[in-house]
Amino acid sequence: MSGEQHKSATAKAWHRYAFALVPAAGLLELGAHVVQTHSVAPDADWRAARGFVAAHAAPDDLVAFAPRWVDPVGREQFGPQIADLEREARADVTRFPRAFEVSIRGEHLADLQGWSREDVQRFGGVTVTTWKNPSPVPVIDDLVSHVDAQHVRVSRVEGGRESECPFGHMAPASGGLGSGPALPSDRFSCPGGSGVGASVVADLDYYPHRCIYTPGVGGDVVVRVRFLDVTLGRSLQGHHALYVEAERMKQGAPVTITLRIGDTTLGSVVHHDGDGWRPFEFDTSAFAGQHADVVADIASPGGQRRNYCFEANTR
Amino acid sequence: MNEPASTSWPSRVRAAITLPERVGWRDQVIGASIAAVYVGWLLATARVLGFPRDEGVYFRAGTGYFTWWRALLERGKDAMRQGVIDGAFGDNREHPALMKTLFGASEYFFHQKWHVFADATTALRFPAMCTAGLALWTTYLFGTRLWGRRAGVVAACLLGLMPRVFFHAHLACFDVPIMAMWFWCVYVNWRALETGKIGWAIAAGVVYGLTLATKHNAWFLPVALVPHALFVRRYAMLSSIKRWLPTLPANLVAMAILGPLVLVAVSPYLWNDTAARLQWWFDFHLHHEYYNIEFLGKNYFWPPAPKSYLPVMVLATVPTITILLFAIGAYERAAVGVRRLAAWWRTLRGAAETESATEARGEPDLLLALSIGVAMGPFFLEHTPIFGGTKHWLPAYPALAVFAGRGFELAAVAMRAALAQLQLDAVRVRAAQVALFACVVAGPFAETAHSHPFGLSAYVPLVGGTAGGADLGLNRQFWGYTTQDAAAQYLNAQAPKNASVFIDDTTWDAWSRMIAEKRVRGDLHATGAPHDAQIALVQHELHMNEVDYTIWIALGTDAPAYIVRQDGVPIVSIYRRP
Repeated sequence: MSGEQHKSATAKAWHRYAFALVPAAGLLELGAHVVQTHSVAPDADWRAARGFVAAHAAPDDLVAFAPRWVDPVGREQFGPQIADLEREARADVTRFPRAFEVSIRGEHLADLQGWSREDVQRFGGVTVTTWKNPSPVPVIDDLVSHVDAQHVRVSRVEGGRESECPFGHMAPASGGLGSGPALPSDRFSCPGGSGVGASVVADLDYYPHRCIYTPGVGGDVVVRVRFLDVTLGRSLQGHHALYVEAERMKQGAPVTITLRIGDTTLGSVVHHDGDGWRPFEFDTSAFAGQHADVVADIASPGGQRRNYCFEANTR
Repeated sequence: MNEPASTSWPSRVRAAITLPERVGWRDQVIGASIAAVYVGWLLATARVLGFPRDEGVYFRAGTGYFTWWRALLERGKDAMRQGVIDGAFGDNREHPALMKTLFGASEYFFHQKWHVFADATTALRFPAMCTAGLALWTTYLFGTRLWGRRAGVVAACLLGLMPRVFFHAHLACFDVPIMAMWFWCVYVNWRALETGKIGWAIAAGVVYGLTLATKHNAWFLPVALVPHALFVRRYAMLSSIKRWLPTLPANLVAMAILGPLVLVAVSPYLWNDTAARLQWWFDFHLHHEYYNIEFLGKNYFWPPAPKSYLPVMVLATVPTITILLFAIGAYERAAVGVRRLAAWWRTLRGAAETESATEARGEPDLLLALSIGVAMGPFFLEHTPIFGGTKHWLPAYPALAVFAGRGFELAAVAMRAALAQLQLDAVRVRAAQVALFACVVAGPFAETAHSHPFGLSAYVPLVGGTAGGADLGLNRQFWGYTTQDAAAQYLNAQAPKNASVFIDDTTWDAWSRMIAEKRVRGDLHATGAPHDAQIALVQHELHMNEVDYTIWIALGTDAPAYIVRQDGVPIVSIYRRP
């Protein structure tokens, strides 16, 4: 048989049996379905991973879950002692010296790109990767953690008149979809009914961030938050955002936060709708090592749904 | 003495079960049987599926609509007063009345009167399930008439074995009914053109009216049916124009006259202020608010939808073997079409095709292609919202399945030819054919059965299944229907007595129904604010994350007590106040 004839015969055979692609594809799909539905990491793997992380993670380490959608399972399995709000609703990852990334399906968190991998432990379908932050910036004082009667004063300034917002313990205030962040049971209650408290805001990408929620801002009302006796460092950093439903339409008035240390104004930052969870930073080198009150004045020319939330910390 | 072969008992049995080549009443029995099995499957799996938001509205409207029809029979003239009609049919008037009326009728007859169904909701859902059966029946008939029974059976099976079709087929909503009516209308129109009989033309008008009365997708159907009919009847129309007696295809005339009449006849709300109310109906849907949906990790609130949305969602939700067979079948039919076109071009002067030959075929390939194109086309337009995703282009799927049936037929013929080379006996050849069928339907069946009741979370193995869909950032659910699963897996056994439950996206109507039908424990009560609740639910969708965070603060914990999962993917998080 010549080469040409051989090629022709082979081509005919391929053509004749090309139909086999159909049952092969069907069986491949069935097999993939069986594999995919039987390759879920069991709870025992999660518990083993939890045991490892609980034994090795320091309080200032990050514990996070990947992919994003498995975060609820991580919180369920690891519990609120490990998967706490400081980790789950973090402002960013810069403050953490180390991260324990608990992942399935080989996924990783984009936030940890650039960190160096220290260790990988596999617990069945769950993998714990320990990452080291190449340049952590430790937090001296986290002002969100200050929000209580001993460390913070809140007042409402309207028409030049300042009214104190007393701190108290009451029922939380919350609603369903579209209602905005919840106000915690321990909070400041301002005249007019609005409150100020430590909450969690959903940013434009629906990520959670722990922050100080000041929904009563806007119009003629300035909300003033005074943090008492803050330990200062070389900078005062922070982030701010509005609740996703309040800013995604990009129709609201800007919100300005002005920060002062004692009588010295550090500066103002304006948050425009659509900015999302936006960082800001002020140089406080002149005050490094000192203790002073930090005052945040929050104002907006418009009062329509300014569900503003900010976090600040000294470093 | 041996009996003649033709009268031996195997031969007699074979003769008895061998179907005549001509499609006839036996095929109606086969189609009806496929439909009955499918409806039976839907009924058997209905109770584990909770109630989506919209369904609660249609339950209520359906009951109200049929109550009016009963009042009409009982009180006659009094029920005809505009105030009484509007009082009944003003509820959810943005959607046509036909299906809701059937929902209510089914509830009355099959639940209240004859007690066929223990659950009122199953009775309310039953008509929509029957339309799913109708869709399979029609698909079988169309496939069988075009390319044989094997193609018809496979087409019907592959349509029913799409997880999204199976999910929506359970619901007292309009998405599967419009799929069924759309394709029935396509089929009847094709028969009208193919047979040229006036009865089919009249049927086309009536069925189009019923389609209009099912859902507003029907407005788009003429975009497929009119050019098709004009193309099929082009020679006759040109001839009539030459005779100064222009004619139109009878099916189109019937649709234009009977369609609106049937719509109005079954829609009492349109019996008064008809023009103004029709205008309101059009305006409502032309200016419908936009709903959000997640696609590839991003929440879309506004049109336009990404151009990749429809293709990606089809590939991610329709079993891949079905897509493959569709591609084979559609490619072959397109090749045939191209060859015909080329032949026509070459013999333009020689009139290679006669008028009757073209008309007799009824151009089904063109019609099926138009049906798919018109059902899917709007989702590539600038101002079409994404809405609930795949359910809005379900009307394309029966035609897709018919092409898939053709693809299977081609594979089966090729296999038979290949096996003939191996000189296998008839039994082995038959076994191979059965095996081929099994290979094609086993995957879709496994995926569909496994998806229930989380059909909206289900993605095909091509994208990694449910977890793969979550990895890609594809929508996991909507309408809050999975609260029932939270009850089945956790609340009913674990919730404290008289506990208050924040039900998130689930409606009060749905909750009440679940309580009434003992799907949820009767002592539990729903609340609309997390801080009022001992237990709080989040039905996971991207934009529901904000509710998750609200619950963290309101209940003082970020750790769910339990999570309803499908293949490891969170569907509902259940929080419990510490």
